[in-house]
Amino acid sequence: MLNINYPKIEKKEFPNLQLNLVEPIIKLNLRGKSREFFTKIGKILSIMLPTEANSSATIKNISALWLSPDEWMVYGRDIDKNLKLSLDSEISKLNLGSVTDVSDQWVLINLKGKNVFEVLSKGSPFDFNKFKNTNNVVVQTLLNHIDVILHHNDTNNVNLFVRKSFSEHLWLWINDSSSFL
Amino acid sequence: MSENFRSLETKFLDKTNRISFKYNGKKYYGYKGDTLASALLSNGIHLIGRSFKYHRPRGIMTCGSEEPNAIVQIGGTGSFTEPNVRATEQEIYEGLEASSQNCWPSVEFDVGGINNFISPVIPAGFYYKTFMWPKKLWYSLYEPAIRMSAGLGKSPTQPDPELYDHNHLHCDVLVVGGGISGIIAASISSDNGNNTVLIDDKNSLGGSTIFQDDENFKINDEISSVWLNNQIKKIKNKKNLIIKHRTSLAAYHSYNYLLARENLADHKSLNERSNKLRQRLWKIRAKKVILATGAIERPLIFNNNDRPGVMLANSVKKYIDYFGVRCGNKNIIFTNNDSAYETAISLNKKGINVSIVDIRNNSSSILVKNAKDAGIKIYWNHTVVNTAGYRRIKSIQIMKMSEDGTNVIDSKINLVCDNLSISGGWTPMVHLFTQSGGKLKFRDSDQVFLPNVTTSDQISIGSCNGDFELDDVIKNTISECKNFLSLSLTDFDLLKVNCPKQKESKNIWLLPNDKPLGKTKPFLDFQNDSTAKDIKLAMREGFRSIEHVKRYTTTGMGTDQGKLANMHALGIISETAGVKMGTLGTTTFRPPYTPLTFGTIVGRNVGTFFDIARKTPMHAWHENRKAKFENVGQWKRAWYYPMDDESIHQAVQRESKAARESAGILDASTLGKIDIKGTDASEFLNRVYTNAWSKLGIGKCRYGLMLNEDGMVYDDGVTTRLDENHYVMTTTTGGAANVLSKLEDYLQTEWPELDVWLTSVTDQYATASVCGPNSKNILKKLFPKVEFNDENFPHMSFKNAELDGINCRIMRISFTGEHSYEINIESKYGKSLWEKCMDEGKEFNITPYGTETMHLLRAEKGFIIVGQDTDGTMTPIDLQMDWIVSKKKYDFIGKRSLYRSDTMREDRKQLVGLLTDNPNEVLEEGAQIVQDEKKQPIEMLGHVTSSYFSPNLNKSIALAVIKNGKKLKGQKLLVPMKDKTIKVTVSDYIFFDSKNERLNA
Repeated sequence: MLNINYPKIEKKEFPNLQLNLVEPIIKLNLRGKSREFFTKIGKILSIMLPTEANSSATIKNISALWLSPDEWMVYGRDIDKNLKLSLDSEISKLNLGSVTDVSDQWVLINLKGKNVFEVLSKGSPFDFNKFKNTNNVVVQTLLNHIDVILHHNDTNNVNLFVRKSFSEHLWLWINDSSSFL
Repeated sequence: MSENFRSLETKFLDKTNRISFKYNGKKYYGYKGDTLASALLSNGIHLIGRSFKYHRPRGIMTCGSEEPNAIVQIGGTGSFTEPNVRATEQEIYEGLEASSQNCWPSVEFDVGGINNFISPVIPAGFYYKTFMWPKKLWYSLYEPAIRMSAGLGKSPTQPDPELYDHNHLHCDVLVVGGGISGIIAASISSDNGNNTVLIDDKNSLGGSTIFQDDENFKINDEISSVWLNNQIKKIKNKKNLIIKHRTSLAAYHSYNYLLARENLADHKSLNERSNKLRQRLWKIRAKKVILATGAIERPLIFNNNDRPGVMLANSVKKYIDYFGVRCGNKNIIFTNNDSAYETAISLNKKGINVSIVDIRNNSSSILVKNAKDAGIKIYWNHTVVNTAGYRRIKSIQIMKMSEDGTNVIDSKINLVCDNLSISGGWTPMVHLFTQSGGKLKFRDSDQVFLPNVTTSDQISIGSCNGDFELDDVIKNTISECKNFLSLSLTDFDLLKVNCPKQKESKNIWLLPNDKPLGKTKPFLDFQNDSTAKDIKLAMREGFRSIEHVKRYTTTGMGTDQGKLANMHALGIISETAGVKMGTLGTTTFRPPYTPLTFGTIVGRNVGTFFDIARKTPMHAWHENRKAKFENVGQWKRAWYYPMDDESIHQAVQRESKAARESAGILDASTLGKIDIKGTDASEFLNRVYTNAWSKLGIGKCRYGLMLNEDGMVYDDGVTTRLDENHYVMTTTTGGAANVLSKLEDYLQTEWPELDVWLTSVTDQYATASVCGPNSKNILKKLFPKVEFNDENFPHMSFKNAELDGINCRIMRISFTGEHSYEINIESKYGKSLWEKCMDEGKEFNITPYGTETMHLLRAEKGFIIVGQDTDGTMTPIDLQMDWIVSKKKYDFIGKRSLYRSDTMREDRKQLVGLLTDNPNEVLEEGAQIVQDEKKQPIEMLGHVTSSYFSPNLNKSIALAVIKNGKKLKGQKLLVPMKDKTIKVTVSDYIFFDSKNERLNA
């Protein structure tokens, strides 16, 4: 049997901040723009893909993040292999758009607590003033010069997606910055 | 015991907290809240350092960031040491150690003081004239001597152990400056729902009004300081107002992007600041900016105006009224305006002896009347013509001025003093305004530059906008803020302000003297020792532009950046040249406003965080195997795997032989991977690459070359057709992100009609590349169900397979010229896949090889690396890759450019091979190639792009780009190096297995 190896990210606690690796979790990149594409996705995932920029939709344990007018990331505990296969066969195979498994492309780190935006502000030029007061919003920005996707899914609760190759370095940086809060 | 000059009560210091510190090795005491300057003055110390050029004794002159003289070394000689710290800004802490700079053996007796005596022979610009001849002395004498005397203070020789941080901040309104106008602005802004930030460089708010206790200055019938203190208490409780103390704005860039340095621990003892941040750099994006940066007092320019004890009048007032420190027992105020009378009145009220020398004939100001009523002696229409006292001023000589102010008359009067407070008016601090791109205007009435036109959303208020009287400051601050923030009412609209008005004014840039200018030393730039006569000398020598005069005389080039000097330099230039001052302009105000430490600039981007480290899923294995890594883009790639004490050369020779003779394995996970789906995917690839893609069968791979629109090679890689409408493209490691952006850009802007979807999957898959004669045997063991014969699995084809139930994509492609396979697997299994390959390959002596061996193996085969063998100026034809450019396709990116006359020239630089006459001699990459060494000027034909010693060929090989290279095959060329010239022969660029027999074996 092949062993699974995730980046060296362990649960950490700082004053008013908890950091946690949320893996494994399936993440899919969806691309498309036709009406049929939206309809099929809605039927299969029971979720309407958000069309408002930088917004997200969450139903049960599936979240859909707006990435661009024709690109979304869906992730969640309720996505399993069967769901993935039906998306692939109903979307990609029928040329309605594209479904690509990016579960290993991105690493999900959860940041929770009152100091979430304090630590993010240390490395991100993004203006979090409105973002932190709004749930279910998404931003693709830089954190310590590294591309990240931030999903503010609940008050002071952010799911951070970072490409796997950057994840250990970013994790070290988040830990370091959190120690100076 | 020395006299205690802190005889006055003050509410601004914590007198219960007595602090000891050392200055020049001697222990002194001050109080919490003291600056080093106020603490030293309270101990009667004025002599702080020596000037840069003449090593003249210099003392504390100001109380703020404009200080030119009192700059000290903090922290002894260890790693915490820091030079050029302004004593006027450094707060004292328990255990602080400070010492004087630019003096030896001591500040009291400095050998360098000899320069003062030879000053007539070292005027401005002597550097440029003196060190021209004899030429041979430059290296042996001049340069070492200049280097030895250059700079002030001592740089630390050890790494800075302190911690620094960066932080981003966004706000609706940023107010810079915590004086009265800044406080009113911040209050108005935050009261009206704006997310507001107020920054101030001091440890408490209030500016100079907070210690203004004069009855003449009243707001709503309260003394101005009382009223302001109440306002400060109120704004501290405002919800949407952040106040940052000890924070100075360093830079104001375009579009309201500003940098501010916050001092977090500079006022704390070393114990208190252990493992804590010292300074933080705030990167601020503000929708609107209100500059309330105030004004600084101007000095007056007269003979020997630089002695310790000569201070700015307003600073003397702050030392008395804020710090409770008197700067002398016998004070003389020398002024050209009314504001200095506030200092005189303050001194008089505290029982300190004071008299006034005023260059004006009279003044009707209430302040002057108060001074007269208090019995203060005033010398009207007089000027100081000389001062005396070496380490501290002892006396001054004054003379009456002629009616027109150009000369002095009558006899000299000698006045004894131990402090001379000078005031030449006020200069608005417009530095930040101009940094942001704002343009200035000149106001003739009081000869000041003021903010005028700006493109960013900002205003200047208060004295930095030219309002120097309290009622003007308040009235205009309110109206400017209302207009700027679109408000009709504020809480301050009905304020009643009473203050004295300045009525008579007189400004003379260079005061007259009884001696000729050449016999006097009227200093402009106190730090760099430039005088009025230096400016006049520069003018005589033909310099006219302020920028040229500045550089010739070094005026304004010290750590204070001429905050006190520049206006006088401009004034003297305008008078000498007979032009209006406003037409001269100013020198360029560049960031930072005050010096920043390197630590603040880099923040936490040091050590581990100096650069981003991108790691492959197999990284930990490479580390365990003691691999050496190289940076490829942001990736850390295994470079080579030394065994025992192998050198890189030995390791690469071993690894490359193993790969050719049995089996090698490379971590190729870093290659960019782009998933391409859609019904138009084939057409898309046709347009992107130079070769044809329509007929590529499912399960087949093809190498492609991507060009820029200029026809130059941009990237390359192998793309595999996974399904009818599904491809996966590989790109170079460093080019992955740019290629994806470029392709997405084309899809969105040029070819929106194409049904194609791109997704980056670089990190989704880990890739192990197994190569060598035994690679097939290893793959057979790993994937027993897959048939690896050439019919079923030929070169440039792909198969899906399972490894322990996990899906893998296997591509039979090669970058080494060997029979080889790339196995792609979900990256969480990457390390396990690698270990499995190593286990199964053990019997075949599978050898991990790094990027250096990969480069060697591909160079033997003549495979290019985009970015190493190309440099953005190479077409496919230049690379002798004509075969990959389709003649039949209608179009592809860069096609048109390939048919331009220049790209079709036959004598362009072309890729060739090089063989050295001595087969053991390895060329240096980047070395220039020539045909005739004696030809003048020497003609460079090209350069070496890749060079190695090939253990498989047992000789040195190199790739090079050479002008007209294709036609030079077989010709001898030269590679001149520092100590020899290497003879080479132009050869084919494929050195090994040109018939691809091993590839298909």
